[in-house]
Amino acid sequence: MSAVAEEKQLVVVHGGRGGISRSSLPEVWAFRDVLAAFVMRQVRVKYKQAAVGIGWSVLQPLLMAGIFALFLGKLAHGTSNGMPYFLFSLSGMVVWTTFSAAASGAMESLVSNQMLLRKVYFPREILPLSAVLAALFDLAPAFLMLCIVDALYGNAPTLSWLALPLAPLLIVLFASAVGLALSGLNVYYRDVRYALPFVLQIGLFASPIVYPLTIIPAHWRTLYEIANPVAAAIGTVRLSLGGSWPSLAPVAGAALWSLLLGAIGYTLFKRLERGFSDRV
Amino acid sequence: MNAITFDNVTKEYRGASEYRALRDDLGALFRGRRTKRTRHTVRALNRVSFEIPEGESFGIIGVNGAGKTTTLKLATRIAYPTSGQLAVRGRVGALIEVGTGMHPELTGRENVGLYGRILGLARQDIARRFDDIVEFAGIGAAIDQPVKHYSSGMVLRLGFSVAAHLEPDILLVDEAIAVGDAGFQYRCVERMAELVREGRTLVFVSHDMSAIETLCRRAVVLDAGGIAFDGSAREAVATYLHGVHSERLASLNGNAHVVAENFEITGTSVHDASGREVDSIPAGAQMTVRIKYRAPVSVERPLFNIGLVDGRIGCFALASMLRDGGAPEAIAGDGHIDCTFSGLPLLPRVYEIWCGVRGELGFGNLVTWQRLRLFRVEGNGDAQGKGGVSIELDNAPVHIPYSWSFNGHA
Repeated sequence: MSAVAEEKQLVVVHGGRGGISRSSLPEVWAFRDVLAAFVMRQVRVKYKQAAVGIGWSVLQPLLMAGIFALFLGKLAHGTSNGMPYFLFSLSGMVVWTTFSAAASGAMESLVSNQMLLRKVYFPREILPLSAVLAALFDLAPAFLMLCIVDALYGNAPTLSWLALPLAPLLIVLFASAVGLALSGLNVYYRDVRYALPFVLQIGLFASPIVYPLTIIPAHWRTLYEIANPVAAAIGTVRLSLGGSWPSLAPVAGAALWSLLLGAIGYTLFKRLERGFSDRV
Repeated sequence: MNAITFDNVTKEYRGASEYRALRDDLGALFRGRRTKRTRHTVRALNRVSFEIPEGESFGIIGVNGAGKTTTLKLATRIAYPTSGQLAVRGRVGALIEVGTGMHPELTGRENVGLYGRILGLARQDIARRFDDIVEFAGIGAAIDQPVKHYSSGMVLRLGFSVAAHLEPDILLVDEAIAVGDAGFQYRCVERMAELVREGRTLVFVSHDMSAIETLCRRAVVLDAGGIAFDGSAREAVATYLHGVHSERLASLNGNAHVVAENFEITGTSVHDASGREVDSIPAGAQMTVRIKYRAPVSVERPLFNIGLVDGRIGCFALASMLRDGGAPEAIAGDGHIDCTFSGLPLLPRVYEIWCGVRGELGFGNLVTWQRLRLFRVEGNGDAQGKGGVSIELDNAPVHIPYSWSFNGHA
């Protein structure tokens, strides 16, 4: 009978459009258990029937980097700032694959969980956020592989490897911002799900994955890394693998920019949220 | 203190034609103005107000589309009101439609963990109740199988079981349990009654009128998004059934005029003992059915058959000239024929009058056997009983006086 004796929470709902409020974030925090459960659910479901299992998160960037290394590195003599081209493109691909999976997973999250939306209450932003965090699960083995490959190239582990987690941090912030906005829009305009893969394909080449950051004119470089936080994340990984500490300006700038985008995306999401279960 | 308060709540849904593509909005943007969209909105709830005190067992009844599920969805914050205000106090456990969002790839155990957490239960609370949940659902070893291998009945049982075991302050139950087998339905009703006895609030939506009367103290009848009745569950059920019957009367009374070759039925009416034309007859009273006809040419010995039907196949009472030989020698022109049933031993509800007219000696149909109109028998019937529930739609129509005795004692 403890549930009856507890202080009961009073929820008041006013009619109208709804929007972001002071209680929005505390409520997500109150549902952090559910967020964790959703993340675990996605990770479980993803690998439940895959024979290679979590190995896919390693194989995918590995194969792509191999192809890039062969065609762009060996045959087209792409520049990689002194880094072995394979390691160079692998580090880019690991970051990019994670971001791409996080963003598209988050974008689809509301529509693909429409049964839940129609049947149970929870703060809806949990769905795109859990998709982002679930995509991050692939990053640990991928980073491990990256360190191994780095070591195989004869680079001894260095203290700067400790800066590696800055990359996933940037990815989470940026992918959440993109995911919140796009998942909400996708409920209303299904065009989003067709447009995003196309945009991501462009992003693959608009980010310094197969080419080094140095081909961007020096005075634009930092701005470029801030505007495209994936570039900043890739830069962080490459610098720390190469034994130097990442530079502060692009990392902090990209983080702040992502936070600003996140605030905009979250506001939009909350504005659209009330119609989700009716429209999905 | 109220568990649930609805204050002037309106909920509108956009109709299907409201769905838009990005190109429409972009097009409008480029043309520099918003295209005028015709608003096809469906008003599911219209300025609805009610209060459910804590500990109340509350039923919601109404025809499909009356707004029952919408009410539950608003109370659970699955959907939001267009205008008005609502307040909910305490933790809500809800079972809305079947399935409740189980993930097919995960096992029953994993789903219980996930679903329990969505419903606001801590991990250790779920673990503590896990055995009860599995036992109540009757899932057995299948709990470690992916839910996609479950039958729909198993998914439903597991869903209800989780919702019913998390000790909610308020339990909302939609039509869902109607899908389970009889044994499980019984256990669901038992469990809900138990929660009510513990002082929790129950909101129960059902088409099963006897379940509403058994479980609920109070009920509302929703009709086209508004509250048509709010009061004791028994009165609400009676109001609802009366309304359903009236609707059937109105919708089916149109075809009392039948044109056949050489013969026409121009109207059918029902009259009480005093000869007044009526739509309803008190239970046990006399009823006269009047068939008005037009015979352009003279018809010799037409045989009228009039039957009473309760909605099931075949009539349960028949007045037949074929059997009693009461046919007139000949009819021609306009006229009417009356058939008086002396005292209707019928339970209160709506019945149908069917009629067919055959030619001389029973050969050839002048008018084929068909429904002409409806009438209602009025009265309180079994609803007056002490422990009884009101009559359901598909109950037996005829009331034969009876009495009980136990071990030979009256």
